[in-house]
Amino acid sequence: MKKILEVARRDYIETVKTKTFLIGVLILPVLMAVGMIVPAKLMKKSFEGPMEDRHLAVLNLAEQITPELISAFTDYNKSNPQRKIIPELHKSASGKTDNKAQELKEKVRSGELDGFLLIEPEVVEGEGRGYLYTKSMSDFEFSHRVVRLLNNAVTNSRYRLNGLSPELIGRLGRWVSVEDVDLSAEKEKARDKIAMTMVPFFFMFLLFFGIFATSQGLMMSVIEEKSSRVIEVLLAAVSPFQLMAGKILGQTAVGLTLVVLYATGAIMVAARYGMADLLTGGLLAYFLVYFILGFLLIAGFLAAVGSTCNEIKEAQNLMGPVMLILMVPFFTWMYLVQHPTGTLAVVLSYIPPITPMVMILRIAARPDLPLLEIIASLLLAVSVPAVMWAAAKVFRTGVLMYGKSPTPRELLRWLRYG
Amino acid sequence: MSDDALVIEGVSKSYREVRAVQNLSARLPAGSIYGFLGPNGAGKTTTIRMIMDIIRPDSGSIRVLGQDSAARARDRIGYMPEERGLYRKMKVRSMLAYLGAIKGMQRSEAARAITAWLDELGLSAWGGKKVEELSRGMQQKLQFAATVINDPELLILDEPFSGLDPLNLDLLKGIMLRLRESGSTVIFSTHMMEQAERLCDYLLLINKGEKVIDGTLGSIRAGFKSNAVSVELEGDPSFVGGLPMVSAVARAGARLEAVLEPGADPQEFLKALVDKARVRAFEIKVPSLHEIFVSLVEEKK
Repeated sequence: MKKILEVARRDYIETVKTKTFLIGVLILPVLMAVGMIVPAKLMKKSFEGPMEDRHLAVLNLAEQITPELISAFTDYNKSNPQRKIIPELHKSASGKTDNKAQELKEKVRSGELDGFLLIEPEVVEGEGRGYLYTKSMSDFEFSHRVVRLLNNAVTNSRYRLNGLSPELIGRLGRWVSVEDVDLSAEKEKARDKIAMTMVPFFFMFLLFFGIFATSQGLMMSVIEEKSSRVIEVLLAAVSPFQLMAGKILGQTAVGLTLVVLYATGAIMVAARYGMADLLTGGLLAYFLVYFILGFLLIAGFLAAVGSTCNEIKEAQNLMGPVMLILMVPFFTWMYLVQHPTGTLAVVLSYIPPITPMVMILRIAARPDLPLLEIIASLLLAVSVPAVMWAAAKVFRTGVLMYGKSPTPRELLRWLRYG
Repeated sequence: MSDDALVIEGVSKSYREVRAVQNLSARLPAGSIYGFLGPNGAGKTTTIRMIMDIIRPDSGSIRVLGQDSAARARDRIGYMPEERGLYRKMKVRSMLAYLGAIKGMQRSEAARAITAWLDELGLSAWGGKKVEELSRGMQQKLQFAATVINDPELLILDEPFSGLDPLNLDLLKGIMLRLRESGSTVIFSTHMMEQAERLCDYLLLINKGEKVIDGTLGSIRAGFKSNAVSVELEGDPSFVGGLPMVSAVARAGARLEAVLEPGADPQEFLKALVDKARVRAFEIKVPSLHEIFVSLVEEKK
């Protein structure tokens, strides 16, 4: 046991003090922050920030809507003085698309105009349509805005033509607001939809990152010891099992360090935004249990994989299928959060490598998940010793094998006789 | 301490169809230097790994330091594998401390041993440097330190001389001799017969996984009288080839190497020489280990 602890201690210290680890610790929160904040900021900027006036030529063949069209733009420009859209109304002599339209399109092409809106005559009757010509199809906000203004104008014209007051229609069509109330927690409280989906995701992601980053670190460290040939020196002092157990223990500690750091950060952030009650003690306890079990499973597997490889490249090829399985919760999380007791959620809970991620997602989404279900998912706990046993056998033979990687048949032989 | 540091009995090991070691038996008295000799691929590394319990024999038993497996005596053994390896990214002292700790040493005890060995090997100034910053020669010395840090009762060195520069070669031999003086047992393997001849008390010659011969250097040599004689004469030595007891003659600088007919008495040869010329030097050649090995392997065929 003392030897296992010595191995664990070295692995922990040597991992935690590397630059990769420090950078890794910093990078994740930064990435997450950048990933969440930057798109939101950009979005906000493209919809709300000040802009130069945009000039829109309008060739309106539906004379009836002209007053509403003008007032729609006027109202808009009054309430958005920094993002004005200036309409220039043109008339077509023939009442048809003629040379005028060609001329205006040309002006859009040359950049003289930002856009050209052609309105067909029968729009009020719901027959005709509008055409918006712009140079950049991707200026989503501009076209969106113009479409809305046109539709406002058309709808209001229809009201007027039918003798209705737009103000009255607006009053009659008001929405009733409904507040979501969450009864799964002890206290009744208003439910914040975003927090309700993001918190489970956050926990799942943290679990994934903690398990995956560190067990991959374990695999790298096994390969490094193998390729630097230090492994045989070690095996003169410790048994292969002691070595593997020590390394797994050390990396578990690394993973816990990471997770504790992030969880602390998350709790602080949650407290600041008044969401601290979303993180219950029970959730954190489950998190810990699932983290350790999930980590041991993946780490045992990757330690065995590492022991059969001579180079990191080889290992990465073998990791592909593992990654694919681990990604399943990422493809399905949106659905799982909304249906935490559905069939898919239950089935996925019983696939050991992803049990921890799926379960933490479900527990975070539904704190009153039946205990029986939680216990059943701990089937995972049974698979941990099985994987460890197999990993120890493969590890024992694998660490001293150089040259080509073993075939599946050879691996089976190691399991039987190793 | 028991009399035998190592007892190997009827050990065999095959890899698929290749028989790496076949029915090997040997006893190794404590307090001696013991050489495993044989060409590359003879089964030396496999045998050593089985002694270390890194791989398991298919059959047979190995007792190490009175235990039925080296796994129970790991802390009393120092082992330098054929493939040298160190943690390149670790600092010299902390790497040695780690290797000491997994050999069951107390921290303070390990720290003292590290200081002493780094001093002796001239690496004191490098204790805080990373292993990868050391030159190749220094890394070789560090590898010795890592092997002997726990003051082992049994030192096992697999091909310790390969790749060493001459200074480190002498240093390592010095360490081996000193450990023997202090009562430790040293086992090493080599394919360089001359090195073994100078160092070993006991020898085990193996070829293709099988024992060729073992015993002390003296007892092995006793079975191999050579009939080669080296002489140096004044004057013209051309008559030597015509003597009846001589089967072949070759010039080697100022000397003549004469091979006598089987059963011829070197004493008669000397008389015959003295009759015809002044003899400056006369030496009955002792067979080298290499020659013994080659003749034994030939004989087996």
